Amino acid sequence: MSRKPYRTGKTLLPTVLTFVVALAFLFPIIWLVLSSFKETGELFSYPLKMFPSKFSAGHYQKVIRDGFFSYIYNSFYLAVVGTAITLVISSMCGYALAIYRHEVSYTNIIFGIFLLGTLIPGETLTVPQVTVISELGLYNNIWGVILPVVTTTTGIFMFRQHYLSIPLSFVEAARIDGSTEVQTFFRIMLPLGTSSIVTLALFSFMWRWNDYILPLLVLSDQKKYTIQIAIKNYIGFNGVDWSSILAASVMSMTPIIILFMILQRHIVGGLAASGVKG
Amino acid sequence: MRTQYGKRHVRAFWFFVAPCLILFTTFFLVPLLLSIGLSFTNYDGWKTMDFIGLKNYRELFSDIKFYNALGRTFRYTLFSLPFKVIVPLLVAVLVTAKSVKAKGIVRTMIYTPSLLSALVVGITINWMFGAEYGLINYLIKLMGGVPLQWALNYKLATFVISFASNWASTGFYMVIFIGGINNISGEIYEAAAIDGSSNVQTFFRITIPMLAPTTFLVTLLSTVNLLKEYALVQGITQGGPGLNTTFIIQFIFDKGFNQMQHGYASAISLVVMIIFASIAFVQFKISNGGDR
Repeated sequence: MSRKPYRTGKTLLPTVLTFVVALAFLFPIIWLVLSSFKETGELFSYPLKMFPSKFSAGHYQKVIRDGFFSYIYNSFYLAVVGTAITLVISSMCGYALAIYRHEVSYTNIIFGIFLLGTLIPGETLTVPQVTVISELGLYNNIWGVILPVVTTTTGIFMFRQHYLSIPLSFVEAARIDGSTEVQTFFRIMLPLGTSSIVTLALFSFMWRWNDYILPLLVLSDQKKYTIQIAIKNYIGFNGVDWSSILAASVMSMTPIIILFMILQRHIVGGLAASGVKG
Repeated sequence: MRTQYGKRHVRAFWFFVAPCLILFTTFFLVPLLLSIGLSFTNYDGWKTMDFIGLKNYRELFSDIKFYNALGRTFRYTLFSLPFKVIVPLLVAVLVTAKSVKAKGIVRTMIYTPSLLSALVVGITINWMFGAEYGLINYLIKLMGGVPLQWALNYKLATFVISFASNWASTGFYMVIFIGGINNISGEIYEAAAIDGSSNVQTFFRITIPMLAPTTFLVTLLSTVNLLKEYALVQGITQGGPGLNTTFIIQFIFDKGFNQMQHGYASAISLVVMIIFASIAFVQFKISNGGDR
């Protein structure tokens, strides 16, 4: 085609325009991060400046004195343990729903039960959920925040779809070689699900790290607070403690953004393909 | 072969499914049944639990605050929905355009807000919309305008919440739209180009119709997410001024946890559940499941 001579002209303008749009989306975060390094006096005085006149880590020091490292530890514990459980149980469940579909007649009924989880928003069940958590003695216990949310229909669905695409002859071959059903899954089939595992791992970690409602309702002891609850506590009846909440918010978003940057090549591809629900 | 293995495989099936099924039953199905049961009682989350028949439901259907919260949630959803669908669609078209370079960086930048917790999304946007030292009001002043009371005027407060919600979800829905756009065959676009179709014509005559199933999915997901907006609001107005941004989920939580009316909250939850499901069902019917 005769386009070549115009190439730079054709790509420059659209690329610049797209970058401006992208920058606009990123801007509120940039503004938050820059603000978190301004001294309190500068935060609340005109004229507003883009960059802090002096980078100050004072708000971060204050937030850390408030115990933020322990809240971060609690959130990490919640997110890592919750994600590990989610990965194990949803890969097992999705696998079984796919592989035994010809041998067990009621697989679709069981799958249908899990699909209820997507039809009914969890928020409408939070009140009785907290009752169940208390009855099980899990009130003010980190497990009371982990166990109710580790089963995700999204995860089960993802693994089910994945294993539906793998020929049953793989399983048959393993059986003929004398492998038990459990061995077949853990040794042969699970390693084949790596792309689903990475995608679900990142999403699950993010959901747990960002969890708000259950930790707020279930954890009453300040020592057990997660980072989101600690942030919420800077919003009081008399207004918001802005200088602390800015630094706290930046601290809460940093791990997720770093994790996403590391894993994004695997994720965005997987996301576009399967349309994971939030 | 199958009958020989039969029993062993059924046992393996249950072994694999059991953990999910047990947890799902305990923390989803039991609360669902509990919610139905409790909706006929005056349970206060502590000691009192008497059967009171349909009293909660009668009270609910004449509770003006319930109707107000529900109406507010609907108005918020209807106002926000077009932006929730159209903005990511336009952004996705932009970042899949052949003439745009460095697509990866741009997509990552737009996706980043989707990684934040709803609470932090609220805080981030609220920081920009502060009445006194917020960036937006500062810019308004610089341009000679009168600063706006974003938190005190309920229309402005609702706008800020909607803006925050849209900002944070655009990246996520953009990715879904990119998937849809990538599934459209390149041959159709080539044929259109040969026929002399302009970019605008191609967008309206090819991209939009071909994306109908994706648009349906995004509409459905955003409707449900808007209807249950909660944590975001806690980062901005906490439901104020007054109750003016208290949406239905917060209304349920207030009844259940702050006013200890678990029975009444259960009744509201069930009614809201049915309303949400009906809305999803109607959308599904209207769009024919997203099929063209």
